[in-house]
Amino acid sequence: MLATRSMPARDPAVLRIAVLALATALVAALALGLGAGGWDWPLIVTLRAPRVAAAAGVGSLLALAGLALQVLLRNPLADPYVLGHSGGASVGALAALLLGLQLWIGAAAGALVAGLLLLWLARPALAAADDASPKLILLGTMLAAIFGAVSTLMLALVPDQRLRGAIFWMVGDLSGADASLWHLAGSAVFVAWLWARGRSVDRLMLGADAAWLLGEPVRRLRLELLVFASLAVGLAVSTSGSVGFVGLVVAQGWRLAGVLRTRELAVLSMLSGAALLMGADLLARIVVAPLELPVGAVMALIGAPCFIWFLARGLK
Amino acid sequence: MSAAPLLETRALTLRAAGRVLVDSLAWRVHAGERWCVIGRNGAGKSLVLRALAGLGVPERSGDVLWQGRPQADWPVGAAATLRALMPQQAQDRFALTVERVLALSEVATSAPRPRPAELLSALDIASLSDRRVDQLSGGERQRVALAQCAMQGAALMLLDEPVSFQDPAHQQVVGRWLTQAATPESGDRAWIASAHDPSWIARVATHVLALFGDGRWQAGRVDEILSAPVLEQTYGCAWRSVEGAWLPA
Repeated sequence: MLATRSMPARDPAVLRIAVLALATALVAALALGLGAGGWDWPLIVTLRAPRVAAAAGVGSLLALAGLALQVLLRNPLADPYVLGHSGGASVGALAALLLGLQLWIGAAAGALVAGLLLLWLARPALAAADDASPKLILLGTMLAAIFGAVSTLMLALVPDQRLRGAIFWMVGDLSGADASLWHLAGSAVFVAWLWARGRSVDRLMLGADAAWLLGEPVRRLRLELLVFASLAVGLAVSTSGSVGFVGLVVAQGWRLAGVLRTRELAVLSMLSGAALLMGADLLARIVVAPLELPVGAVMALIGAPCFIWFLARGLK
Repeated sequence: MSAAPLLETRALTLRAAGRVLVDSLAWRVHAGERWCVIGRNGAGKSLVLRALAGLGVPERSGDVLWQGRPQADWPVGAAATLRALMPQQAQDRFALTVERVLALSEVATSAPRPRPAELLSALDIASLSDRRVDQLSGGERQRVALAQCAMQGAALMLLDEPVSFQDPAHQQVVGRWLTQAATPESGDRAWIASAHDPSWIARVATHVLALFGDGRWQAGRVDEILSAPVLEQTYGCAWRSVEGAWLPA
């Protein structure tokens, strides 16, 4: 019945998180160990570890950003790549590079602008009583197309040694990516915030009006969600380019598995986002070795069919 | 409790699409009263309830006071302990369970809240606890929405058509629960519900606010308002009373 709290030891949430933490560690070990050269410590420490750590950091940030955007837009199919946030971050990062500013700050600002633009454009659809999903996704897809075109133009018009190639900004690539404590710290702060605000974020899923009537400061809450998601997308895009579908596959996957509480979703998303992108990058490295695939293409091949499947089944 | 009425409107005027729907509504609702709002489709019933709850409406003027204090002076958290609103249609975008939705609707108040188990069985939704809200029938979802509203534990419940999807048996179930949810004896609660069936209203309400759709309105005790002339003015058709039931002639 209502308000039953099971003992922590028997709580399925604790069990799920523990199992997932182990699985994530296993994927990390595989990602560190597999590949040309095998178990060679100097190779692992200098070459593979930074890349695996970068994949873990970017994956967890993108999964958390997806979770936040899904609640913010009340759309279980929301994803920073599909809805143009990553595209905005790419444009912001390119602009920052050309202007000589910090890359991740430009990327975060770009993601924030894209997010505000989408919220503004989708305002009538979000306020309407009917399901806003199709309109929102179409609007986001068009925003993504516009940002993609702007990035391409910037790359074509300003050939600059410092700018990485179009593939990096369009689909994402982890080769040459470096780990940074910022990713892990960012993920940890994001999860801590989602944990602290768990009940309020859960209530936001009931609708903005409903949450406000229950006493939640809805406007501030939604702004915080957007800012956190934008910072996360900015950090991720400045490291790996626009990798898509992590947020969609991870957060929505756990929802379909029956996980509904924001607190649990946040921890699970962080862990599985890390595992998913480490796994995808491992595939990108070894499938056609010694050649490497861009990890974003691998992720799109995993994620886009999932998106189509979610959409076709009309799952919530 | 303070002497001020639970809810008071002063010269509340609501417009929509260039039309005045409610003109200078001066109205008081006290604890223990059960109000029904009647009016034709589009007469502004939902709009009045939204305005009373403090939600945005297209165009409004005048004041709404909760316990003698202007609506806008209430912090959002305190307001949640005073009034709850059950919308006409819940908007479920996520696959939350009934149990979860009800748990999220609890607001900590000092006032005694309904006991969940009793509430669920009184509204005949006890067996739905583990079901997803987006997979319920219209009538089931409506009773869950009413339970959400009750779980909030607010002194004033605003209910937008609580029985529109209910079969005759469940109209009785909901009516019985609503009748005991606010009584003069128990003292500190009231509700305002929009509804259409005068016979149902006669059984559950103590007072009625009739909206005539052109800005005019009339408020009073249920036996004063539920009369052939007022009903005719409200709905534009003649009414007759047969053995306590109201029928359009």
